[in-house]
Amino acid sequence: MFKDRNFFDVFSIPAAFQVDLTILADQYRELQAQVHPDRVAGGSEQEKLQAIQATSFLNEAYETLQSPQRRAAYLLELQGIDVNQVDQSDLSPVLLMEQIELREQLEELPRDEAALDKLEQLRESIEQRQADCQGQFAQVIEQGSLTDAKKQYYEMQYFAKLAAEIESLEEDLLGY
Amino acid sequence: MALLQIAEPGGKSAKAPRKRAVGIDLGTTNSLVAAPCGESVETLPDEQDRHLLPSAVRYLAESEGGGVQVGHSALEYSSIDPLNTIVSVKRFLGKKLAEIKAANPFLPYRFITDSENEQPVISTEAGTRTPMQVSADILRVLAGRAEKFLNGPLDGAVITVPAYFNDAQRQQTRDAALLAGLNVLRLLNEPTAAAVAYGLDSRDEGNVVVFDLGGGTFDVSILSMQKGVFQVLATGGDTNLGGDDFDHTLAHWILEQAATNDELDPAQQSELLTVARAAKHGISDNESVELQFGDWNGTLNAETFAELTSELTDRTINACRRVLRDARLKVPDIDNVVLVGGATRMPVIRQRVADFFQRQPLADIDPDKVVAIGAGIQADVLVGNKSGDAFLLLDVNPLSLGIETVGELVEKIIPRNTTIPVAKAQEFTTFKDGQTAMLIHVVQGERELVSDCRSLARFELRGIPSMAAGAAKIRVTFQVDADGLLGVSATETGTGTTAEIQVKPSYGLSSSEIETMLKASQEHASEDMQARALHEARIEAEQILDALAGALRADGDLLAKEEVEHIAVATGNLESALQGQDSGEIHELTEKLNSVTAEFAARRMDKEISRALRGESISSVADS
Repeated sequence: MFKDRNFFDVFSIPAAFQVDLTILADQYRELQAQVHPDRVAGGSEQEKLQAIQATSFLNEAYETLQSPQRRAAYLLELQGIDVNQVDQSDLSPVLLMEQIELREQLEELPRDEAALDKLEQLRESIEQRQADCQGQFAQVIEQGSLTDAKKQYYEMQYFAKLAAEIESLEEDLLGY
Repeated sequence: MALLQIAEPGGKSAKAPRKRAVGIDLGTTNSLVAAPCGESVETLPDEQDRHLLPSAVRYLAESEGGGVQVGHSALEYSSIDPLNTIVSVKRFLGKKLAEIKAANPFLPYRFITDSENEQPVISTEAGTRTPMQVSADILRVLAGRAEKFLNGPLDGAVITVPAYFNDAQRQQTRDAALLAGLNVLRLLNEPTAAAVAYGLDSRDEGNVVVFDLGGGTFDVSILSMQKGVFQVLATGGDTNLGGDDFDHTLAHWILEQAATNDELDPAQQSELLTVARAAKHGISDNESVELQFGDWNGTLNAETFAELTSELTDRTINACRRVLRDARLKVPDIDNVVLVGGATRMPVIRQRVADFFQRQPLADIDPDKVVAIGAGIQADVLVGNKSGDAFLLLDVNPLSLGIETVGELVEKIIPRNTTIPVAKAQEFTTFKDGQTAMLIHVVQGERELVSDCRSLARFELRGIPSMAAGAAKIRVTFQVDADGLLGVSATETGTGTTAEIQVKPSYGLSSSEIETMLKASQEHASEDMQARALHEARIEAEQILDALAGALRADGDLLAKEEVEHIAVATGNLESALQGQDSGEIHELTEKLNSVTAEFAARRMDKEISRALRGESISSVADS
């Protein structure tokens, strides 16, 4: 029932990078309440199948719009840009140098609980950089400069990956 | 949006009679059934006012009149007639016989292996029975109890399963219910059911932790409740931790105190555990209890008990920390904590939970009954009795699902804690030139290597058009439905060749295995990275060796004898490194082989170019 619909349209929100997550969550719950398989638990197989497909679509759409990274990729995709096709010119040498430095910092951390504070600092500075990147992405995509938006996307991607690595390192150190 | 106006099934007419729906908690030790009684949902008692039905089934010989005993009457015979009295059958659901035997070395039952898929079959006086049939016998008794109470046949039932149950275990639970003649409205995760039981009482909004410590397993889930929607944010736990472990710890302490060095016989062991269990129960209501085991007499006080079991309580709290992290929440974000399971009656548990979450946990609903009550409430909604104030449950898959790719690596397709139902598609490609078939191997688990995850199903996609390696595009779609059951389909997107299967795993994954696998994935995160590096290095090396062998066959004549020897030495070194485990060495020697053969590659290139040029000049001549 939602097949091939634009994710932003489905939730009745503007197709922009800045998204009000509270409104998004409210819309998501509202729609789920209407199409969820639980609403047709006594229905026909056909109805149940449709409900599963509709709910799966909603979950996918919600997950995509919730995550800044995936939302950015989706906005580019709507403009006909495939972020999986990486062009060497999309990656600036400055960015690569910075990434190498940050990664070195990460690798040099002692592998014990003493590293936790340092990790926390590193995480904060990366979160700050992520927020900056996101702000810039919002600007350039708004202005319609897709080449810049794509570059900005890869920058966000680098920081997102770094953030994920910090997280898994933290989990290791905490013994989860 | 017309599409969104889906009618409530059977709920249109205001005069529609109330349908008969029940919630069933099919437990390892005890089972319960709950149904709406007036305004509330309550568990139903038997004729002797007992709500809990022991999950024990006894099959009688013809000479004894034949038939089946279920519950208290069967349990009485568990030591008198052990071969025909099946207890804790839930532990056998969705498992292979070998797994069951490995996990329970002292089972008295006479198992027969079903040669087809190694499913366990138990031989009894009344014939052979599968775990599914035994479960169905328990469900039948509960359904009968409910039908009597509700004055008529049931319209539907919600059956609860542990959040950690895998696809096979869910599948067999559902099949057991079908076998018992029940219309299964939904399989519902136990912690979610507990949250419903509390949530509808309080009508609160916010984040709820469900802390479920049973006899043998520990589950913890975090749900967000907003405007009638219960959304599970994360679920986790420790399936090798339960009330029984507290008994064992206490039993060890008693032995130490009694300072007996003699081997205990089975009767003494059983007595020891009984004493320990009684002490555990006693210490819940008293500051200290007197103990007696053999000639030894002693006193256990609450403080000592807390110290003895602190390692166990620590583990429950550690699991809480992890699940908070998975849900991306912190302690102050939690608005309520709900206790489920008999073992949460222990004050040591309540205290630690209260300390950790900085609030008193809720336990006003009987922790043994709360799951069945929640399931009953959900059943009432699903069957269509509550169209007005219906609520919605959004649950998650507890374990990541993925498929095997080159080098026995797992490509995760649906990560754990993803809201279900969910459909995810991923593209894969062929590894070799002219490859026309592809084996799709579906696995469940968190680790990076296939061998460390649980195999769920294998199927083959045939008829892939013959193309160069990497040219065919195989799209694999995973669909998990609202019961947590998995379906997988695969399509070659170039030609539309489709292979579709509903995954019916030949065996399941034990809850404790899930636990072990989860733990291992955390413990071995770095080991996994090394293993991955090794696999990748090996694949790279093998590809180069393959290509080189082909090139030597085709153009070996381009090389001088000395050069052939150089290459042979480099090849030999790499081949012997491949026998080892050092990814760095393999990588280095691959590079070495690359550089030794660089000149050879250049000459081949020249040869190709001149061949092509000759071809072109001939055709240009012909054209002109």
